Amino acid sequence: MPRHIKISLIVFGIGGAIAMGFFVDIVGRVRSMVNERETEENPFKPPAQPLYAPTDPPMAVKIFFPAVSGDSLLVAEDQTIFKSAEIANRARQILQKIQEGPGHDTMVAPLPKETKVQDIFISEQGTAFIDFSDTMATAHPGGVLNELSTIYSIVDSLTYNLPEIRQVKILIGGVEKETLAGHCLLLLPLDMDLSITNVMPHEEKSAQLK
Amino acid sequence: MRAVRIGIPLAALGAALFIFGGLMHAADTSIPIYFPNSKLIVKAETFNRATYIPIKEIIEFMGVPYTDARALETLTIRSGNSRLLMTKNSALMSYNNQILLLPSPILREEERWLAPIEFLTIGLTRLTGTEFRYRPGTPRIYADNVDSPELEMNAQTLGPITRLTLRCSVPLNVDLKRDNQRAILAIDRPALDPVRERLDHRDRMVRSIIFDDSDGDAKIVLDITREVTDMRLTGADNNRVFFLDLLEKKELVTEAEPPPVVTPAPAAKPDVTPAERKVRVVVIDPGHGGMDTGAKSASMVEKDFTLVFARKLRTALQTRLGMTVLLTRDSDVALDNEARSAVANNNQANLFISLHAGYSANKLDHGSSVFVMKENFGQAFTTSAAGRRDQLFLPWYLGYHTHHQASVSAANVLQEELSKAIPESKFAVRTAPLAVLSSATMPSVLLEIGNFNNPVNAQTLADDGFQRHLADALVNAILRFSESPQAAAN
Repeated sequence: MPRHIKISLIVFGIGGAIAMGFFVDIVGRVRSMVNERETEENPFKPPAQPLYAPTDPPMAVKIFFPAVSGDSLLVAEDQTIFKSAEIANRARQILQKIQEGPGHDTMVAPLPKETKVQDIFISEQGTAFIDFSDTMATAHPGGVLNELSTIYSIVDSLTYNLPEIRQVKILIGGVEKETLAGHCLLLLPLDMDLSITNVMPHEEKSAQLK
Repeated sequence: MRAVRIGIPLAALGAALFIFGGLMHAADTSIPIYFPNSKLIVKAETFNRATYIPIKEIIEFMGVPYTDARALETLTIRSGNSRLLMTKNSALMSYNNQILLLPSPILREEERWLAPIEFLTIGLTRLTGTEFRYRPGTPRIYADNVDSPELEMNAQTLGPITRLTLRCSVPLNVDLKRDNQRAILAIDRPALDPVRERLDHRDRMVRSIIFDDSDGDAKIVLDITREVTDMRLTGADNNRVFFLDLLEKKELVTEAEPPPVVTPAPAAKPDVTPAERKVRVVVIDPGHGGMDTGAKSASMVEKDFTLVFARKLRTALQTRLGMTVLLTRDSDVALDNEARSAVANNNQANLFISLHAGYSANKLDHGSSVFVMKENFGQAFTTSAAGRRDQLFLPWYLGYHTHHQASVSAANVLQEELSKAIPESKFAVRTAPLAVLSSATMPSVLLEIGNFNNPVNAQTLADDGFQRHLADALVNAILRFSESPQAAAN
């Protein structure tokens, strides 16, 4: 083999090895970034604040869960949270109750088990922006009625118990999604809808009591 | 030495490209100039990526006097007491005592004076008062107050057919001609303004779709393939909308499977003629598709079930009612919700049905639902003080609103017919903020059938006989709705 071809091959070989090294390094870095994002234990994350103070009084709430059978899509279950000073913390407690699931087997859990609430923000206009983890969409089993139950379990539980929240805007994985599982529109904030529950609105209830 | 031998020719080639490249001359194109009652076709040329038009031809056509001084290499155009003077190879023009600057110099080629297209607005409009309008990059010019209605073209592959939809704000006369491998839609209306010159649509029936009015006569030229055996042109909305359907031989036999044995449905009145039915175009949307599988049962995924059932329903509607039936997808592809309702909107459908399978946490449940859009959804987000003009710009998610009552009627009819045909299953009419229905501008429903989490029910849904029975019930419902006063005709 001529000498210059040998030299060229050696140069190409060295170049290829360097390129491969870079590529492996880049792939490794990207993977480590993805892993870092998925890792829950971020050393820079501030320690979790308690959602209520020991002196906060208890507060009765109705948590709406999908019914196993019957005419109502959602059925209310009476539960208790603590009346923390911040509305966002009360909302977090309600969402925690939804995540924990119902206490009766006539109802089912509306959210996939691994779903996490990443953040909550309540605007001055009374719109609660709730950011759920991606799992809420990826692990959702599908079905229009099922999707409707998941969404309104959140919307109705928050708007019924916290009058400061008038509408709920659901975000998934930190971003706005068109739908949760291909059906219900999430691009606009959603209002309370008690027509699919076994509970009547506050004003109708108070009118009946009079 | 060897490097020098290669380097010198390369350097020479680069220098030649640098020096002469600037004068690169592209092919001539014909540009029509539309005047109020006449038109002029001029040969435009392209130098240095600038479009040049012949000045003398235009001013002669307009009857404006001029002087072409060959010795001085100047051209003077006069109108009343005003004078516009231009010089060869100069981008400066003298208008009375003002200096006007063109983006590129005026050229003279033998007897022809060529000016960049901006000369019309910068120079000629000032001199003569005639206004010129053109969109940069488009090969046509409108002079004075010539009405130039916009022409919108849209092409879609809809299963076995390819559909070209034309929309214009004024009525058109469109004539279809076939010339070997070309289909020509001749439009008897001058000065049209196409939104797009060509469509980037390409499928097994059409290779290109181009708007052409280079000879002053507007036409759309479709480069079609040998797959096209028939073409059908249909006008709608007082000839403001036209549909050109390219059909292949297989179009009438839409299913790979043999056509079902059709038995006359009890609800189908023999004395009813198709003319009495208001629903002529039905768009069926098989839910999910592609990566989005939808709900899963032990043996099937929702996207496959909806597609198989949608095809059966299409066959039943075509054979029993002779309706035009389009599917939003006819293969395993992902589509967003807006694209699905856009198929119905663009094809002026009278009814839109989205098909889905249910999934309930209760494994014994086998109910179904007919959904309509949640009433008044999204209305809080529109400005209440919107004037009549603003109403033209309806937010897309409010498309459902106009036909909401008709959608409710359609859902009720579907519920009745389905409950009658399948009494062992419960069909409920429900409302929900559904993305696929929100922007559909016709009566529209979403049918969620059965429960994929119920193994017995999932097996029933997969059964061919059950699907045909369900399709027959839906055909009866669509026929009933079509004859009802709530149905909207085109």
